[in-house]
Amino acid sequence: MTGGLSKSIVIWAFVAAALVMLSAPTIVVLGASFTAGNMITFPPEGLSLKWYGAILQEAGLRQAFVRSLIVATICTVIAVPIGTLAGIALAKYRVRFARSFQIYLLLPFTIPLIGSGIGMMLVFGNMGVLGSLWPVGIACCVINLPFMIWAVTASASNLNPDLELAAASCGAPQLQCFFYVTLPAVMPGIITGSLLMFILAINEFLVSLLLTDARSVTLPVQIYNSIRSIITPDLAAISVVFIAVAAAAIVALDRLVGLDIFLKSK
Amino acid sequence: MDVLEGLAAFVWPKSLHKAQPYLMLLPAVVLVGVLVLGLFQIGDASLRTLDTSTFRMSEYYTLANFERALSERFFTTVAGRSLIGAAIVTLITLILAFPYAYLMVRTQSSALRKFLLVALFLPFFIGQVVRAYGWLIILGNQGMVNEALGLVGVSPLRLLYNYPAVLFGLVQYMLPFAVLMLAPALTAIPAELEAAAGSLGANWVRTFRHIVLPLARPGLIGAGLVVVTLSLTDFAIPAILGGGTQDFIANAIYDQFFRTSDQGMGATLTLLLVAVGSILVGLVFMLFGAGTLAMTGDRK
Repeated sequence: MTGGLSKSIVIWAFVAAALVMLSAPTIVVLGASFTAGNMITFPPEGLSLKWYGAILQEAGLRQAFVRSLIVATICTVIAVPIGTLAGIALAKYRVRFARSFQIYLLLPFTIPLIGSGIGMMLVFGNMGVLGSLWPVGIACCVINLPFMIWAVTASASNLNPDLELAAASCGAPQLQCFFYVTLPAVMPGIITGSLLMFILAINEFLVSLLLTDARSVTLPVQIYNSIRSIITPDLAAISVVFIAVAAAAIVALDRLVGLDIFLKSK
Repeated sequence: MDVLEGLAAFVWPKSLHKAQPYLMLLPAVVLVGVLVLGLFQIGDASLRTLDTSTFRMSEYYTLANFERALSERFFTTVAGRSLIGAAIVTLITLILAFPYAYLMVRTQSSALRKFLLVALFLPFFIGQVVRAYGWLIILGNQGMVNEALGLVGVSPLRLLYNYPAVLFGLVQYMLPFAVLMLAPALTAIPAELEAAAGSLGANWVRTFRHIVLPLARPGLIGAGLVVVTLSLTDFAIPAILGGGTQDFIANAIYDQFFRTSDQGMGATLTLLLVAVGSILVGLVFMLFGAGTLAMTGDRK
C-alpha cells in the first residue's frame, strides 16, 4: 500500500468498526444458542446443547424450516433456466430495444420490496392461491431475478463468440453447440446465480410475511412472530441454522467460482 | 442426442432463428410481468376508498386516498422520518463502506482479502430477522450491554425501540450492499495513479480527495442509490428494532393492509413510495448517466 502509517491507522479504524458491526449479531446469536440458562444473559451461565434439543421438539419451527427449503427450491428451479436464457440472450445477441429490456428486467430492483410484495399479494390473492407455497417461491424468484441475470451476463461476456462459430463450422448442430460450448462457458455465472437465489429465498422475510398465512409461515416469519413475544434461546438455536446455511453457501461459492469475482470491475 | 436435435429442428425451424433472442427473453419478461400486473392492481386499489360501515371497497374511483396521504399528519410524519433516516443511513454507510472496500481491493494479502469478503458475505447471507434478533440480544433491556453495564454499577440504558437503534440496524444491514457496489469501482482505479500522486508530493489525504474519491464517483453514486432506496423502504429493521414506535413507510403500508384493513389507503401509500423511489432512481440516472445501476451490463 502507498502512504504512511497514519493512513493505515485511519483505514483500519473504520474497517475495525465495520467488522464489529457486521459480525456482532452473528457471534452473539451463536453464543446465545449454546447457553445453559433459560434467559439470554451476559456472562453466559455455562454451555449446553439443550436448546438444540428443544428446537427438534418444536414442530412449528421444524415445519417452518421445511417450508423455507421448499420455497427456496421452487425459486431456484424457476430462476436458473429463465435467468440463464435471458442472460445469454442479453449478453450474446444483438437484441433490438436491449436497453428497454434491461430496464424492464431491472424492475424488481427499482420497485421497493414492499411494493412488489403487496402487488403480488393482490395478484395471487385474486387468483385465490394464497396459502400455498408455490406463489411464495415465484414471488421470491421475481424479486431476485436480476441477480441471476446479472451473474449469467457477467460470465457470458467472457465467452468468445468464435468458439461457437468454430463448433458450428465443425458441424455441431445448434443444441450440441449450446450444451457443449455456451453452457459450460457461463457455468460459473449459473452457479453463482443459483446460490444467490437459493440463499436469498430461504432468508426472504417481507415477501413471505405478505404471502403466507398462519398455516404456511416460513422460518424467517416464524422467528419474527416469536421475537415479538419473548426472547428465549431456542430462537438463537434455530437462527444458527441460517448461519450454517450461509456459511455453507460462502464455502461453496468460494470453492466453485471464488469470492473474488465480486471484486472485478465490469 | 440426435433424436433431441431432430426434435429441436422440428420445433425450432431455421425461420425462427431471428426471433431466438426474443424467445429466450420471453420467460423472464413474463415472470417480471407478475410484478407489473401487481402494480396495476395497486393502482386500481389506490383509487377506491374503504366504506367503514360495510368494510368494502368503493365501486367508484376517487382521489380521496391521495388527499388523505398528503395531508394527514401521521403519514407526513412517517414519510419524514423515513426520508431523513434514509439520508443519514446512506451517509454513515458510505463512510464506513469506503475504507472497507478500499482495503479489500488494495491489500496485498489474499488471506486478509478473503477474511474481509467472508465477514461481508456472512451477514449478507443471514437475513434481516436473524441479524435484528442478534441486536435484540446485545442491546435489549436485559441484553448483554446492559448486563455488562450493571456489573460496573451503571443503571440499564434504553438502547432499543428508538430512532438511533433503527438507523444503527439499517447501517449494519446496508454495509454489505454498499461495499459490494463500491469494490468494482475501486478495482478499476489503477494503484499507479495513487503512487504517482504520492511521488509528486501529495500526502495520502490529498491523494484520497483528489484522485481516489473523484474516480470512485460512479461507485459511490451507485452504492448511495442502492442504500438510500433500500433503507427508505425497509420493513424488518424498523419493525423489530423500533418496536412499533419508529415506523417507516413500509410499516405504515403493512398496517393499512393488515391492521386497519384499508386496502385503498395502503395501496395509495405503496404507489407514492414506488413513485418516490422511481423519481430518485430517475434523478440519479439523469444527473449521472444510466450506467450507474445497469447490472445487466452494456458490453454491446
